[in-house]
Amino acid sequence: MPRARGITIACLVLLTGAALLQTGCQKTEYLRRTDSTNTLYVGVVESSFPVAFMPWLSRDGIAPTIASMLYSTLFSYDDETGGFLPGLARDWCYVDAQGAPIVTESGGIDYARVETEGVKVLRNPQTGKNERYLTVRIELDPHARWSDGHPVTAEDVYYTFDIARNNYLSNHAGALAWTADLLHLYSNTGQLQLQGVFTYNHGAADLGYPIAEAERDLVVYVHVRGVLGAVTSLFTTILILPHHLWEPVVSRQNQLNSRSPDAHMQHLYQNPVGSGPYVLDAAASGPSQIVLRRNELYHQTREDSSPLYTVETLRLVLYQEINVAIYAVMQGHIDMLSAGLSPNYVKLFEGRDDLFLSIAEGVFTQTLVFNVNPVASEQTPLRRLLSDARVRRAIALAIDTDMLIRLVANGAATRMSAGLIAESLTDFCNPSADILHGEHAARLEEANDLLDQVAPQRDAQGYRLLEGERVTFNVLGHPGEMELVAFLEIQLQKIGIKIRYQAKGNSPETTHLWTSRFDMTLHGVIFSLANVDIMLNAHFVALGRTSNYGRLIEPELAAAIEEMRSTLNLHRKFALLYDLQPVIAGLFYKVPLYTPQIISIARTDRYTGYEVVPGEVVFNSTNLQRIQRVESPGDAEPSADDGAVSRCEPGERQ
Amino acid sequence: MKRSYVIKRVLYALFIFVVVLTLNFFIPRLGVGDPAERYYPPKGAMSDIEYEIIKQFTREQYGFDVSTFQQYIRYVQGLFRFDLGTSLRSGSPKVVELIGKRLPWTLVLSVTTLLISLVIGLSFGTLAAWKRGRWQDSVLLNASTISVALPGFFIALMMSFYLGFELELFPAYTNPNMVADFDWSKEAIMVVLNNAALPIMSMALGGIVGYSQSTRNSVIAVTNEDFVITARAKGLSETTVLYKHVLRNALLPLTTSIGMSVSGLIGGAIIIEQVFNWQGMGTLFLEANSTNDYPLMMGIMLFLSAFAILANLVTELFYVVLDPRVTVGEKR
Amino acid sequence: MTGRNVLLQVAQRGGSFLGFVRKLWQHPKGRVGLIMAGFLVLVAVLAPVLAPYDPYDVTQRAAKGLRPSWAHPLGTTITTGQDILSMLIYGARVSLMIGIGTGIALAALGALLGVMAGYMGGLVDSLIMRIVDILLVIPTLPLIIVLTNFLGRSYFVIVLVFVLFGWTGLARVIRSLVLVLKNSNYVKAAELAGASRWHIMTKHILPGTSHLIIMNTTLTCAGIMVAEAGLSFLGLGDPTAISWGKMLAEAQSGGALLFGAWWWIIAPGLGIFLSVFAFMRIGLVMEEVFNPRMKASSSIHKLFKHLNNKYLDEVFQSMDDEAACGPPERLDEIDASQARGLP
Repeated sequence: MPRARGITIACLVLLTGAALLQTGCQKTEYLRRTDSTNTLYVGVVESSFPVAFMPWLSRDGIAPTIASMLYSTLFSYDDETGGFLPGLARDWCYVDAQGAPIVTESGGIDYARVETEGVKVLRNPQTGKNERYLTVRIELDPHARWSDGHPVTAEDVYYTFDIARNNYLSNHAGALAWTADLLHLYSNTGQLQLQGVFTYNHGAADLGYPIAEAERDLVVYVHVRGVLGAVTSLFTTILILPHHLWEPVVSRQNQLNSRSPDAHMQHLYQNPVGSGPYVLDAAASGPSQIVLRRNELYHQTREDSSPLYTVETLRLVLYQEINVAIYAVMQGHIDMLSAGLSPNYVKLFEGRDDLFLSIAEGVFTQTLVFNVNPVASEQTPLRRLLSDARVRRAIALAIDTDMLIRLVANGAATRMSAGLIAESLTDFCNPSADILHGEHAARLEEANDLLDQVAPQRDAQGYRLLEGERVTFNVLGHPGEMELVAFLEIQLQKIGIKIRYQAKGNSPETTHLWTSRFDMTLHGVIFSLANVDIMLNAHFVALGRTSNYGRLIEPELAAAIEEMRSTLNLHRKFALLYDLQPVIAGLFYKVPLYTPQIISIARTDRYTGYEVVPGEVVFNSTNLQRIQRVESPGDAEPSADDGAVSRCEPGERQ
Repeated sequence: MKRSYVIKRVLYALFIFVVVLTLNFFIPRLGVGDPAERYYPPKGAMSDIEYEIIKQFTREQYGFDVSTFQQYIRYVQGLFRFDLGTSLRSGSPKVVELIGKRLPWTLVLSVTTLLISLVIGLSFGTLAAWKRGRWQDSVLLNASTISVALPGFFIALMMSFYLGFELELFPAYTNPNMVADFDWSKEAIMVVLNNAALPIMSMALGGIVGYSQSTRNSVIAVTNEDFVITARAKGLSETTVLYKHVLRNALLPLTTSIGMSVSGLIGGAIIIEQVFNWQGMGTLFLEANSTNDYPLMMGIMLFLSAFAILANLVTELFYVVLDPRVTVGEKR
Repeated sequence: MTGRNVLLQVAQRGGSFLGFVRKLWQHPKGRVGLIMAGFLVLVAVLAPVLAPYDPYDVTQRAAKGLRPSWAHPLGTTITTGQDILSMLIYGARVSLMIGIGTGIALAALGALLGVMAGYMGGLVDSLIMRIVDILLVIPTLPLIIVLTNFLGRSYFVIVLVFVLFGWTGLARVIRSLVLVLKNSNYVKAAELAGASRWHIMTKHILPGTSHLIIMNTTLTCAGIMVAEAGLSFLGLGDPTAISWGKMLAEAQSGGALLFGAWWWIIAPGLGIFLSVFAFMRIGLVMEEVFNPRMKASSSIHKLFKHLNNKYLDEVFQSMDDEAACGPPERLDEIDASQARGLP
């Protein structure tokens, strides 16, 4: 008996050891390696996957990307021209009071007439003030279908816009969609106070907007505020919902954005029916994997009516750490990574011909922001110094952006003009805003001359003194930006200004930005044609607590930006944008440092034909439409680095 | 006597639980200002008016629109329905559901680790005690020194590096498909074992050393007791003495340290899970922390505490059942 | 009871601090510990002199991811090209400061509460012991993570949290000792002479527990160093400082494993090992000095009990055993919560 127990223990030890060794020899088979179907394995680096696919509720991480594949917007924005490309809708125009299109003879928008004939005035019942508005006619694509087979109709657009504005039913979910410029107003108790969306069934005829019987399901008229930007957000950001599914479910008791949705709504959240190029395979999806299949009913096709998207199935695999994901790509567990990588990793991929390295033009620009106008309680002598434009100009001149790009961004970045509009937008970028170019030595000299007018005294180390104190500024940033600050520190030393890194809090509320308790900070800015009218306002005009990045007050600039936002002539708007750039540059309020490029990787052993798309990682809709499955029988063939692995005896698995 | 003791311990455990849940409720409400502020989504490009709306909405959704006392009542009521609140994640999943999805994966790691370290630890500890002063004992001594001074996550990193990256014996990081594709088939179980190998090995190392030590110490203590000496004097064989007299009595004190391991079963693997990117409770907690998902964080916290209290209680009661000699409730 | 007499002996076995250090030095293992700890302290103090490069210098872009060489004995980091040897040297500052600082603060709080609980008894005692029960049962690491999230990520907060949750073990042990001391003749005499409670606590009881406190502190320092490294590894330390745990975290997030940069991982691990080992050694040898009957090699075995906080109880027990020479008095306290470790 005692001996038996000893043997039992010994056996257990041996068994566990053997089991561990055994599993070690049986290498995990990764699905992708043997998958011969047209399935793209995409690694997503994220803390978690969304569990609900209601586009308005999921706004961070990969969720908007997934939503935009499941649902469609009316149009998409063409970043190069500022025009709109067809989506669910195929055409649009401004119309006059009688519903007649305001177009030129060639069919384009007649902006001169929009200002005269397009603008109408109504009384806003909520504010009691008069409001300028425009009427827009939208014509849907008759081929558009929901993934359950129903056609996409004007009623879907009406329903989507309507519920977005109706907080009573959508429980503020609509506020997450950009509908603020839509003059369709509800009271807090769910009463429609002002109708701003009109269809055949919803009063278009009452206002005299013509809709032919044949296109009764295709035409929508909307009233928007009298600004050009109003249509941009309505057209390109609002994903249209199927009203035949949502309307029966959403009620006052079961609001759209409810934290405790009932079973029906939960079902809709988890089994989305959209009109986008892909549909969710809810059965195959889970917390660490999301499977999307091509929507065979998608209305946009190639000319030969073959599917627009070449990839049939998308398997999104969740990785929580970037290194784990890179390891997975290199090992061949996934085809590509939907995440931007640090330039440090480029070295890792050198000499790997089974990888496609995409280095694309970046979208955001890292800028150095000065606190030029702190709230009175946070005013210090040094911050007062920063409100002197000469000091800001000197600092801007002393920064060697070429060096920053070469050393901080490892060469994977581009310069941005001080006007903050990317040079690639050739028609809109004003070259005279690029005032920080030229030889660095000469610029340094100019900077020192400027500062000698303000603070000529220097201490033993060559730092400038202000009232006997060394001129020292703290730069607020997160830990990832420490090395950038360290570089700036070296560069600004040359003009006798000391800067130091200061840590941001982990939430906006705990950060010093909130109370304007900072000297300088680093701020990523994105100005594209699509958002420029809103964003210029937010960055250079607004003084709210939450948009507090230095609080610039510059009446002339503010007026010009306001005009740019409110003009109804697109040509005038773009002309203003062009003229504003040198003004913005000359303020030295946000000094551009560099625009990091977007680095991402994909494997080439299963798919080929990748393209570098500006502003995008390699996982983007262009590539999903272009890449081709490699048709070779040796799909499961181990790649170069896998070959050396089989040192254990193969188990019973192949 | 015993029954009253059991009732007393259960009531005391309940008392501790109430204190812990109260703490748990108040910690996020500590500090200055509006506690709801932590729950607001980032402002992003929203206008001030829109953001005010969202803030108001958030307050209502998370129940900050009523007094703190009412919030507390609601919170306690929720607990009776096993409702730990709603995560701030998109889609607002229930905290309980998120925990439920991750819990099994942590248990896979920690239960296996516990079993392995118990089996190996007990055997090795007995061996070391029996061969006191010999090389087996000094191996244990040196292993102990090293395992105390080297943090577990460093050992895990090194294992990941050498066994995973360099030798490619095991997956260096957990394969996320493991969870998605799990279907109880033999292959799926093998995949899980394969992926779990490194985390389990690095966790078991500390456990093995710990259990070996405790076993060794208590075996030695028992060996010196009268009845063992008597047994030996009676001329019983060494193995009989070992199994019949020594081990049986030596294992009793070990229940306490096993109980301790059990109470740390769920929360104990946070760092190791992080090293291997294992999708368990630990990484869930760190995700919640890094995304400032307070309801999720505090929900996990409460769950872990409740589990620890329960495990402690069970250990105490178990001990009473096992050891009739225990005099109840005496404290020094 | 004889066991108590032994306790009293231990408590009263005074001697000057210098004499105590001399005893440590005379012990071969103690000498190793002292030399190592002294070396580390020296490294930390002289860091600016010793470090060949500026560890905060993240601008050496040409020197990224270098293998160990004469120029960089421990290589450089992949992300920013920082010199790892210099970082290692500076990291000693954080590790030692947090370890020793927390250890001392913890000893102060633990001793105070332990003496209060033991000497004042009654309501104070049960209040403190209930708090101990609660703190022992809450999972410490998650709680620390929660608190650093709410209170911010600075070393002050980390030390504060360690102290807040680490004092329980010491307080328990001190309380046990004080319960014995309370009934000793000299305390009784002081009470009869009309000394105030405060006076008795600080002048008579606290000195009696000092050895225990010092020994416990040394071992706690070692434990705290490991815990600090763990927290920093999880990214909860001060973002601007250089610490060994943070170096490991950076190595992991910077792709040291992917790049095969073993030097970036091993160096901080070595640092942690050395410092923890040194303090552990000193603590264990101290125990031998206080309690000469304990065998040298068994101290490491006992350390495992220390990690369970049961260790010091067992120390008493071993002294009881030796002194009583009779059947051992079993420690039948079955409060399992007692067996919980420091963070």
